[in-house]
Parts: sequence; structure tokens; C-alpha cells
Amino acid sequence: MKPVLALIFILLAFVPLKLKMEAACDRIAPGSLSIGLREQIGQSAFIAVLGGFRSVIADLLFIDAYSAWERTDWTYLLLRLRQATELQPRAILFWEMAGWHMAWNAGTAALEDDSKSPAARRRLQHDYLELGKDFLVRGIAHNPEKPQLYEALARLYRDKFHDHARAAENFEKASRLPGHASYDERFSAYELSYCEGREREAYDRLRTLYQRGEKERLPRLLNQLRAMEERLKIPANERIP
Amino acid sequence: MSSSLGRIAAIGRTTFTELARLRVFYVLVLFALVLIISSSFLARISLQQELQVTKDIALGAINFFLSMLAIVATAQLLPRDLEDRVIYSVLAKPVRRFEYMLGKFFGVLGLLVISLVAMSILCLAVIHLREEAAVRETMQQLSQSPSDELDHALVAVHQAGANRDLILALLLTLTKAAVLVSLTLCVSSFATSNIFTISAMAMVYLVGHLESIARDYWLHQRAAGWLARTFLAVVAFFFPDLQAFNLSDQIIAASSLSNLMLLKLLGLGAIYIVGYIVIAIAIFSQREL
Amino acid sequence: MTEPAIHVSDVTKVFATPFRRRRIVALQHLNLEIAPGEIYGLLGPNGSGKSTTLKIILGLIEPTRGSVRIFGRDHSAVGVRRDIGFLPENAYFHKFLTGAETLRFHAKLSGLSGRETKSRIAELLATVGLARAGDARLSTYSKGMLQRIGLAQALIHHPKILVLDEPTAAIDPAGSRDIQNLIVSLKERGTTILLSSHLLTQVQEVCDRVGILHRGKLLREGHLEDLLAIENQTEFIVENATPDFLDGLEQQIASTNARVVRRKPQTSLEQFFLKVTETSDE
Repeated sequence: MKPVLALIFILLAFVPLKLKMEAACDRIAPGSLSIGLREQIGQSAFIAVLGGFRSVIADLLFIDAYSAWERTDWTYLLLRLRQATELQPRAILFWEMAGWHMAWNAGTAALEDDSKSPAARRRLQHDYLELGKDFLVRGIAHNPEKPQLYEALARLYRDKFHDHARAAENFEKASRLPGHASYDERFSAYELSYCEGREREAYDRLRTLYQRGEKERLPRLLNQLRAMEERLKIPANERIP
Repeated sequence: MSSSLGRIAAIGRTTFTELARLRVFYVLVLFALVLIISSSFLARISLQQELQVTKDIALGAINFFLSMLAIVATAQLLPRDLEDRVIYSVLAKPVRRFEYMLGKFFGVLGLLVISLVAMSILCLAVIHLREEAAVRETMQQLSQSPSDELDHALVAVHQAGANRDLILALLLTLTKAAVLVSLTLCVSSFATSNIFTISAMAMVYLVGHLESIARDYWLHQRAAGWLARTFLAVVAFFFPDLQAFNLSDQIIAASSLSNLMLLKLLGLGAIYIVGYIVIAIAIFSQREL
Repeated sequence: MTEPAIHVSDVTKVFATPFRRRRIVALQHLNLEIAPGEIYGLLGPNGSGKSTTLKIILGLIEPTRGSVRIFGRDHSAVGVRRDIGFLPENAYFHKFLTGAETLRFHAKLSGLSGRETKSRIAELLATVGLARAGDARLSTYSKGMLQRIGLAQALIHHPKILVLDEPTAAIDPAGSRDIQNLIVSLKERGTTILLSSHLLTQVQEVCDRVGILHRGKLLREGHLEDLLAIENQTEFIVENATPDFLDGLEQQIASTNARVVRRKPQTSLEQFFLKVTETSDE
């Protein structure tokens, strides 16, 4: 009986300590897996995912997506990008590339597809733009502290949707996060300057940047500031030299 | 005390020698080295993007092979000694059973450390070379851009390359492997064959990576039915949370592991190792030879 | 009164099979006492409980009932094993080690210092006739060589008690004779020896006392001359007697109530073999 008691005692000491320490070590949860994933990626890959190789499988899927891009197989590319981002939602690179592939590459290919009517091409391009946006928005939801995805979304709004207000908003959000690109504030101000009714706000921002010194006084900023001064009829003594 | 340490060291050295002279050890390490090198050829995307993928796959290879080595090397120690009756000549000496178990543990750990060092050197060399190439490419691409843009881009490259978190990831991989050694010894202390131990540990390995989910479900009573709840409780109580030692999410997210969290993780590893070895000793002490 | 070297008191050992299907009674109420400096032979057919007895004495397994004391101390105390050297039956050692490495390993387990280990290894390799094979891996050793290295590791720490399970198994007659001589010389130095063997002739030559186990029970035990004495038979071995003298002796015996059971000029096969091989070596 004695050894059994010793074992029970050991377990009674071990288990609570184990649970307490595990709770203290809980960090980023990798996120749940969708039911359909096992069918999509196959049994071996799924077991590897369960066995702690989630990240590696995500990398391999991402590499496969790259091959799909080279073949211009947009459907397969989309599938692989969805799988890679599902498996590794903390990889900024995956979301950013997914947004780029859909909005720029697939979207442009759709627009240039001669086999379809112009209306159909525009519709398809719009669908791909929405898919690209969706990737970036979901990426931001998983990684709200990373500026890169806000920057990518801002570029998408600027270059593809021509939505300057949203572009400005996203550049501004990025500028408030650590590790943001140095041009975020400037770009936000530039985009704002194209928004109807927000010229004064844009001018104030450009002015603030100008006052920070030579570092910010890049040619485009100076040109934009002067244009705003003209548009807003800023008094001469308040204008930049 | 010193003679006890001497006996543990003697058994540890002999165990290390036994494993290092096994061909399977060299084959496993060779596979890992091949995979680490080939990871840099797998990613045919831009050099900056390659870095992250290369690091991920190299870490994954090291993790896999070290875990496999830990289980396979440990699983055959006790059955072999029992089958060959070597254990009689060892335990007929003034050797306590706990000294025997600890000697086995440290012998395998020594082997794992050496394997990890070999694989890490290669991994760091491959990543360093890729990082240098990525820096050159970035400087070329952004040669006309403002200096702050170039600096920002270079920071991103270095973050994706070899850094403190990579070293910590390797350290935690070793910790996880040590946990697997202690747990394999625990299973081996009552198992009657090598095959049983390896099969059981394969299951433990899989379940261990899902332990945090099982624990979460059990703690928050998300499971329906007493059978499911019992199963989740068993997993939460006895299986290690192996996913905790996986830093790839952290590395991917480029969010650095704090020193406090590192200490907690090492502490968690120590609790697992000590706990499983004590249980292994308790069981083995009562085993009829 | 001197403490016995080994004192087995009312030991019973029952092995339970998995799921408690059957119980195997390996030993029943075994009582055994071996005095210091004695050579004791433990005999019995296969499955009689000899190996179980040896394992219990060595503390490798625990008896179900009863106790075992080694020089007055409980057998399960680890310190007791400093006084015991054990050669297991069909001794297996780590095949990946060399002979010298094996002895070094066992010396470390026994707590010997570095210097003592070095001298002891050289001495024992010479004693067991493996001086030239010390640097070869055990995987290259023959069965006989493995047995010799097993004996060497049993002796590495100058044990007071030597437990030998089939010490001359797989060894040729010359080697067997060497081991026998070694056993006798150890006895002269005061070592207590517990010997388990199937080779009854050898047991007869070296042992002071024997015990016969059968189905876990000690059937007979005692000094050899007492056990083997046949009350009404006496053996003379005569050398250089003439045939006439032997005829006269036989007639004299016939004139009494006694009778000659056997008259045959003969040596033992072992002695004949040794004589031939020694002559051949010369």
C-alpha cells in the first residue's frame, strides 16, 4: 500500500503546481482550426499541425501559394492563402501578401482578361479587391498592434478604391503604433488633403509636420502645403517661405 | 553526496556513450542538417520573406528531430538493460534506483545538448547568410530612398533574421526535449517493451500540443458529458503543455519574449521534469526485476 | 559469536502474474545461514528458486515474507552492496564498452577512487587472463571472455561476499580450473562465497557446505563429507600398487563380511583432458 500512497502524494503535489504554472505561462493562443481544414490540407499535414508544426505547415502552404501565383492559378492561390493565414494568423507577411496578390495581381489579371466582357471584368476585379481588403481587415483583427497591415490597407484604399478618407484614416492609425513607417503621418495628411471638406484639417497636419524640421520638409510635403495654402487662401505672412 | 553524484555521472556517461555509438543517432542528426540547409532552397520568394520562412522551417526541423531523438533514445534504455540483464550487475553494486534513473536522464540530456548545438550552429549560419543577402538586396532596392525609409527596412530585415528570440526558441526546444525524456522515462518505468513506450509517447506528443485547449475546456466547463469532462481532466492533470515551449508564434509576430516569461517557461519545464522523474523513480523502485 | 555473513530467515517469495491470474510460489519458508569465509554451494534443478534466492540476497527483489541480513544488516540497505560482488548467470554487460571501460564503470559505481581504479583494472585483467583484450569492445568477446570480465567486475571493489551464479558456464576446462583455483584463493583470504552451479563435480571440489533447492524448498543442507558419506562404503585411491598387491588386498577383503564394489584403474575425463592439453602446451 505504501508505494501507492507515495504515488498519490506525489500526484497531489505535482498536479496543482503544474496547473498553476501552466496558467502563468499562457500567452498567444494559436486560434481554433476550421472543420474543413483537415479535408483541405490532407491528413498528414493535419496531424503535423496537431503535433506542433502548425507554423511550418503554414510556411509550406504559403510557398505553394507563391507557386500558384507564378502559374496565375488565382483560385488555388486564394485557397492556399486562406489556409496559410488560418494556420498562422500572427504572420503579418501572409496577410500582407494575400492582400497584395488578390487586389493587385488577381485584380489586374481579371481586368485584362480578354475572354470576358468589360462589365464582367470590372465586376471580377472588384470581387478580388474586396477579397484583398478582407484579408487585410482580418489580419488587423488578429494583429491590431502591427502597423504594417494598416499601411497595406491604406495603400489599397488609396490606389485601388481611391478612397482617400479611409486611406488617410489607416495611415494615421499606423502612425500611432510602434515600428510604423516614417512616412505614415505625411501620407495620412496627403490623403486627407484630397478629401472634400477636410482641407483645413489636412493643412494643419501638414503645417505641424513642416514645423518638425528639415527631416519632414520633403519636396512633396512642401508642394502639398503650398497647394493647400492656395486653396485655403492662407494669409501671406502665415505661409511657408 | 559526492559518491552519489559520482555514480549518477558514471551511469550518465555510459548512457551517453551507448547512444552516441548508435547509428540511428547519426542518421537522425544528418536528416535534420539536410532539412535545415534545404529550407533555404524551399522558399523561392523574395529574400526578406525567405528569412522568416527559413527560420520557421529550420526551427521546425530542429524541434521535430530533437523531440524524436529524445523519445526514441530514452525508450530503449530500460528495456535493453532489463533484456540484457545489465541492470542486475549495475543494481547489485551500491547504486540506488534513483541514481540509476537520474544517470539515464542526464546521459540522454547530454546527447540532446550536443545534437542541438550542432543543428543550431548550422541553422544560425544559414540564417546569417540569408540575412546578409537580404540586407544587400534591401540597400540596393532602396538606394534612392530617404535614409529613414532605408533604416526602417533594414530594421525589418534584422528582425526577421537571427536575434535573441531565435536563441530563446532553441533553448526552449531543448527544454521541451528534456521534458519528453523525463516523461519517456516515466512511461518506461512500468512499460514492458520499447514499442509500447514509443507508441505511448507518440500519443502523448500529439495530446501534449493540445493540452492547453483541453485545460481551457475543462477549467471553463465547456465540455458536455461526464466522460468528456473526465478525459479533459486527465489530459489537463497529467499531460504536459508542449505547445508552451513553441516560440514560433512569438517569432512570427516579432513580439519579443520577456525575461519574466522566459523564467516562467523554464520553471514550467523544471516542474515537468522533476515531477515526471520523481514519479518514474517511485514506480521503478517498486518494480520486480 | 560471529555474525553470519548471510542469514536468510523464513523467506517466502510469491510472484503474482498480470491481472492476478496465477500465483507462482518461487520460495517457501527458506532458511539459510552462511558463515564468514565459507564456500556455500546452492544447487537445484531449473526452476528450483536458485536465481530468486540470489536476487533476494542481493536486494534486487524483495521477499513476500521473511528477512535477509548481510553481516547483521538488512539486505535492502544500499551500503550492504559495498560488501557484495555479483556475477550473474550468462553475464551481459554493455557491449559497446571495452573490457577496461567496463571495469572502470563498475569501479565508479562501487565508489573506488581514480588511482585505485587504475591499478585494480590492470590487476584484475591479468588475474582473469584478459590483459591483452582489455581495449577490445565486449561485442568482440567470446562467451568465456565475457564470463571472465564478469568475474573481474564482481571483484573490483574487494567484496567480502562473492555471489557467483554459474561461474564456469561456457568456460573450457582449463579456464574452469583457473576459476576454481581463484575461488579457493579468495576463500583463503577470508572471502565468503555463495556459488550456484549445475556442475556438481566442481561444486564437490570447492564447496564447504551445500544446500539443495527443489520447487522453492531447501530439501537438504550440510557439509559435503556428511552429505556424501555412504555409511557402509569407503573409497581408497591407490597409486603405484602392483597387481599382486591389489589381488592380495581384494582377497583379504573377501575373507571378511565386506565386498569389493568396484576395482578399476581410471582417472577422470577432466584430469585426462588437462594432462593432455598441458603436455601439448609444453
